[in-house]
Amino acid sequence: MRFISRIRAKAMPVGPTYRHSHVLSLVLLLGILLLVIVLATSVGSVKIPMGQIWRILLNKLPWVNFVSDWSAGTQTIVLNLRLPRVLLAGTVGMALSVAGATYQGLFRNPLADAYLIGVAQGAALGAVIGFLVPVAGVAYVYGLIPSFAFTGAMLSVLVVYGLARVGKTLPMSTLILAGVALGALLGAVVSYLTLTSGGNTARGILFWLSGSFNLVQWRELHIVFPVVFAGSLMIMLFGRSLNIMQLDEEQAQQLGVYVERIKIILLVIATLITAAAVSFVGIIGFVGIIIPHIVRLIWGPDYRFLLPLSMVCGAIFLILADLLARTLMAPAEIPIGVITALAGAPFFLYLLRRKARMLF
Amino acid sequence: MLRIDANKLTLVYGSNTVVRDISFAIESGCITGLVGPNGCGKSSIIKALSRVLAPQSGSISYNGLNTAQLSCRELACLLGVVPQIPLLPSNFTAFEVVLMGRNPHLGLFQYESSKDFEIVRRAMEQTRTQHLAERRIGELSGGEIQSVVIARVLAQQTQGILLDEPTSNLDIGRQTEVLDLMRDLCHRHGLMIGVVLHDLNLAVQYCDHMILLNQGSIVAEGAPSQVVTPENIRTVYGGGSAVYSIDGLPAVLPRAGSSV
Repeated sequence: MRFISRIRAKAMPVGPTYRHSHVLSLVLLLGILLLVIVLATSVGSVKIPMGQIWRILLNKLPWVNFVSDWSAGTQTIVLNLRLPRVLLAGTVGMALSVAGATYQGLFRNPLADAYLIGVAQGAALGAVIGFLVPVAGVAYVYGLIPSFAFTGAMLSVLVVYGLARVGKTLPMSTLILAGVALGALLGAVVSYLTLTSGGNTARGILFWLSGSFNLVQWRELHIVFPVVFAGSLMIMLFGRSLNIMQLDEEQAQQLGVYVERIKIILLVIATLITAAAVSFVGIIGFVGIIIPHIVRLIWGPDYRFLLPLSMVCGAIFLILADLLARTLMAPAEIPIGVITALAGAPFFLYLLRRKARMLF
Repeated sequence: MLRIDANKLTLVYGSNTVVRDISFAIESGCITGLVGPNGCGKSSIIKALSRVLAPQSGSISYNGLNTAQLSCRELACLLGVVPQIPLLPSNFTAFEVVLMGRNPHLGLFQYESSKDFEIVRRAMEQTRTQHLAERRIGELSGGEIQSVVIARVLAQQTQGILLDEPTSNLDIGRQTEVLDLMRDLCHRHGLMIGVVLHDLNLAVQYCDHMILLNQGSIVAEGAPSQVVTPENIRTVYGGGSAVYSIDGLPAVLPRAGSSV
């Protein structure tokens, strides 16, 4: 009997084994991400060979010096037009996926994302107000709409937080209800303002609302990337706490997790990176829900791996989605939200059918 | 060594007072049983002792340290809890859940070491749950989940353990296994064990000290034979059962039709 129990003990997962495979997956995915970045930079109205892209990029490193066999125009297309767009798509994908995974973990709700607590609707209302503000004859002031959107997102979560707070605690169920109600209210205002704005403004608003990486430059990336990257790293510090918070809050506290403190920290960071991401490129739905779930289905629910794997998968997914959005009907662009839903949903449903037990 | 003192404790849910002005102590080396009818405040006491429920008035101290002197993580290193109906995420494996018991011993940047995995492996062996390690919680029965949570509290390696009805989903064989394990931890390793039990006969068998509660107050306290008396049982539970003496210990058996 003792002998049998010893054999069984040997067969037990001793932790590090599955970790090694997860770390390996992460390294592989980072490699894929790099390839996808180069691929997306090479495809467009002017086709640039991938080898040339590599050389243009590597030439930016101080100790590398390839002899230039490309025109100055090609270099401009790669470095100033395509690369910032591709990198911003990756950054936004990363932000939405990490924030989505965090919201789902915080609320213990598989449907949680920036929509559920009113962040996205707040950003939308902010942007719409930005479109409607008559700025002394100037059609587009740089940074006006993003700052309005960002403010809207942060304000809405502040209101939701204030409404949901009960004494010293923040019950997650109340937070969701307050978020859904406020989201509906803000959504109604957005619809009304859009419909009554008329003409070109309405088209501009609608295009923003469905998300686009058109006209992206380095300056957007310089703002968004540091916020998203630092925020994501900070969230990852709380991976083990998020795991334990999947038990109920009482058990989490009994296991030494500072539940109330961590809820607020994570809520603030997740909202911050979501707001930073959507304020420049508009509302891109579905990524925040689908990517963390795909990662859960393939690699399991451990947040310490779920968060970094979601980050990389989200970046790959959104770069590819943006690639399709700008090439499928070129020179016209398809809104990226359409692509994410059309491409992501069938794959997600396939995984759902096969491995539903691993989900929430 | 751990000693918890509750002093003039009053616990309130909303406007409903569940425990009124009670004082007691739970000490290392003796199993203390909390018994009493439904709604008498047993679970609330466990919640208050693990600081999940803040008392309306009164104080609790751990080895003489009051609530403000111990952080949430420090307390989790001292005291582990097995809740009554533990809600566990169904997509985690039993191994991952038991591993959570190591949390209070790990820093923010730390990963579990091979020492932690060894502790988890031993905890699962002690509770005979090692064969469940790779199964997901959603596939386990109520009794298996209860055993996994007990493994988790063992992995936590605390000085004391509070258990809220740890045997409610277990068959009689597993009930005695779990309580024998607790008795061993208590008597041989000097842990502090406080346990809420519905089954008076189990309580009589395993507890060194019993606290009988009714409507938020202590009715009787002391050795099982002093607490489980015909008078006490009739006052607290009504006339539906009778107290016999078996092998020198009281035994409570139901009597059909006697409560009509």
